[in-house]
Amino acid sequence: MDSLSPVLDGFAVVLEPKNLLYCLLGVVIGMLIGVLPGLGPAATIAILLPMTFGLEPVTSIIMLAGIFYGAQYGGTITSVLLRLPGEASSVVTVFDGHAMARQGRAGTALGIAAIGSFTGGTLSIVALTLVAPFVAGFALDFGPPEYTALALLGILLVATVSNGGKVKALIAAAAGLLLATVGRDDFISVERFTFGNLSLADGLDFVPIAMGLFGLGEILYNLEERHRATQAPAAVTDVWPSRADLRQASGAIGRGGVLGFLLGILPGGGAVLSSLAAYAWEKRRARHPERFGHGAIEGVAAPETANNAAATSSFIPLLSLGIPANATMAVIFGALLIQGVTPGPQLVTEHPELFWGVVNSMYLGNVLLLIMSLPLVGLFVRILRVRPAILAPITALITLIGAYTVRNDVFDIGLVVFFGVLGYLMKKTGFDPGPLVLAFVLGSLLETSLRRSLLLFDGNPAGFLTRPISGVLLACFLLVAVLPAARTLLHRRRAHLDRVPSGNE
Amino acid sequence: MRSRVLGASVATVLALSACGGNLDDSASDAGSTFPERAVRVLVGQDAGGSTDLIARALAEPASADLKKPVTVLNKAGANGGVAAKELAGAEADGYTLMVFNGSLAYITPLAVAADEAVDINGFEVVTGVSQDDYVLVANPKTGFKTVKDIVDAKRPITFATTGVGTGSQLCQELLFAQASVDATAVPFNGGAPALTAALGGQVDVAAVQLGEGQSQIKAGKVTPIVTFAAERPAYLPDTPTAQESGYTALVQQSRAIVAPKGAPRETLDRLRAAFQKAFAEQKYKDFNAQRSLTPNEVDGATLLRQWNASRDTYRGLIEKYKIDLSGKS
Repeated sequence: MDSLSPVLDGFAVVLEPKNLLYCLLGVVIGMLIGVLPGLGPAATIAILLPMTFGLEPVTSIIMLAGIFYGAQYGGTITSVLLRLPGEASSVVTVFDGHAMARQGRAGTALGIAAIGSFTGGTLSIVALTLVAPFVAGFALDFGPPEYTALALLGILLVATVSNGGKVKALIAAAAGLLLATVGRDDFISVERFTFGNLSLADGLDFVPIAMGLFGLGEILYNLEERHRATQAPAAVTDVWPSRADLRQASGAIGRGGVLGFLLGILPGGGAVLSSLAAYAWEKRRARHPERFGHGAIEGVAAPETANNAAATSSFIPLLSLGIPANATMAVIFGALLIQGVTPGPQLVTEHPELFWGVVNSMYLGNVLLLIMSLPLVGLFVRILRVRPAILAPITALITLIGAYTVRNDVFDIGLVVFFGVLGYLMKKTGFDPGPLVLAFVLGSLLETSLRRSLLLFDGNPAGFLTRPISGVLLACFLLVAVLPAARTLLHRRRAHLDRVPSGNE
Repeated sequence: MRSRVLGASVATVLALSACGGNLDDSASDAGSTFPERAVRVLVGQDAGGSTDLIARALAEPASADLKKPVTVLNKAGANGGVAAKELAGAEADGYTLMVFNGSLAYITPLAVAADEAVDINGFEVVTGVSQDDYVLVANPKTGFKTVKDIVDAKRPITFATTGVGTGSQLCQELLFAQASVDATAVPFNGGAPALTAALGGQVDVAAVQLGEGQSQIKAGKVTPIVTFAAERPAYLPDTPTAQESGYTALVQQSRAIVAPKGAPRETLDRLRAAFQKAFAEQKYKDFNAQRSLTPNEVDGATLLRQWNASRDTYRGLIEKYKIDLSGKS
């Protein structure tokens, strides 16, 4: 039982009063910044870095980690209530979460998201404890060709998740892919669609696009609606998910947790892909997929579980390989360095108390977040009772400030307004902004990975098929792309055959 | 010691001026009453990167000396070009500074169109900060331990760079051009992904900054081949420099604190004193050691000479070896 003792020592570290306190502080800050759109965990942690100088390494990382996964909880709230996804990984939550809120079931949506987040986070920590050393290598096996295949699969899923017409979804997704090409080319230094504007040199950021298309677009659209027909804000009926809700969502939570854990290990894009894949999976296996987009509880439970599980498993490459998987992990990497601890392959053996202290603190942090968020659900849903005349300008203001804080650039405020108008026009003409935003996020991943792969293969695309992981992923892509078409074809033929004998009688 | 006295006298002056007196004091010129409010330090990279961490490591002790807050503001974009543009447009009063990356001044101009290039001579340099050396690392499975191994392998290789127009690209292009190795550059977005690609065997080799690669080198997950430093860095004493191996490829990342052109001399001196005090702090020295940074705390004139010389040298070298940093070839 020698292998267990460092794990138990880790619990002893967590239960020191000081560490408990900083864990609580971290998750509270995280939840608050999650609620504020724009201000992300990476920027917050960077700002709070000096605060950790005087702390012990384990205490400071416990707090910083708390900010990171706490933000995942908080981000759901604005997605559901205001249709404002704070991060790319909660875009799909908007579809059904906001639809539920409009039906007066905001409490149910937030409650199930909190329960899903808790379950996803906790499952992921258990898995991390048991298998971290074995799955860490998974992150290294994913090279550019694998990301190319994954991004392709993701973009295909984008088309399936959207509501409304397939053609309109494809048009929106194509526009998203086009927007992803803006900026200085990463491979040859050529400006693309920047119009000589330095603020566009690094391309567009996710935040102004999502906030404009979803948040501001929604506000503009609602203002017009209000002039036409006075629509009373939906009465908030049940605050808690009922037992039937829980039963309905439990499968989605389980599947979302597994997907989130696996995809979260991948550096870059893991969390977005996991929430998207979890949502697509639920919609695909649902008996009535048409419920999705109109307040299906699985459509909230699956992605919210997945993105929290992914947030937790993204610690695996950092703590066991010394590779930061995303921007927030990069800042935590920096924080560890300042503390005199170099994250790397030997971290677990050289600093077991740090590794297990941080990992075990996440159990506690998740419990704290669940305890905090459930009672707050009742409080937050009251936001919906605020009159639109007051709520709309406040939301618009928060959105604009949030967009500014990402890069401290006034240009981004202009972008939000631009995309807000675009979002309004899209909604009026029956386009769903979801595929646009998701395709935008995946577009740059697809392009850079594809071009990197071709450089590695010396221009020969056959290389994708000879690598096991990318080969399997491409096979999945074909399956997902071809299967529905084949099924309809089969269906039609069967219907035809059925009709032939009946015609003989 | 001298700067502490200066700091104390500034505090006295501030205290006196707060009482409303001291108008006839000779110390009431702009330089010695500076700063009267918070100083902003722009960083052209995202929070959490090397440049950002350096800015934050300096901001705290500098603020203690200046007795006013020193805040770090990230304005990422165009390799730091966005922040440099903002700095150029800011008022030249010493309240807006920037941690300037040397590569923006002496490598990026070789890769981008002339009108996009940033000229460091259009700014005032407060002080040099530190240098970051590049190291070439190989995945152990390649069996490469020296440059000779790579040459003798007589096969085309792939190398990861941290981006187009970076020191990581320049140093490897120079090395492989001189060693006549058929090498393909694969640009990644920063040091961590480039290193990950080498760790996972996606590419044969990668050049990353020493601080980024150190833990993987120590763990034996990647093999250090050469550094591109002038002499062997104290942090990696057993790895030869490219120079020692017979190649002209001296490439470093260098950082400096920079102010807009025309900032008053007294203000610049006051700021330099504050940063020198920060450099002297043990905690900052430990930070340098942790990140494998070599101090280069020279004055503004020396730094400008260093950077201009680097730019001219690199321009000559890439012409000589027909290297196209824009990646279009």
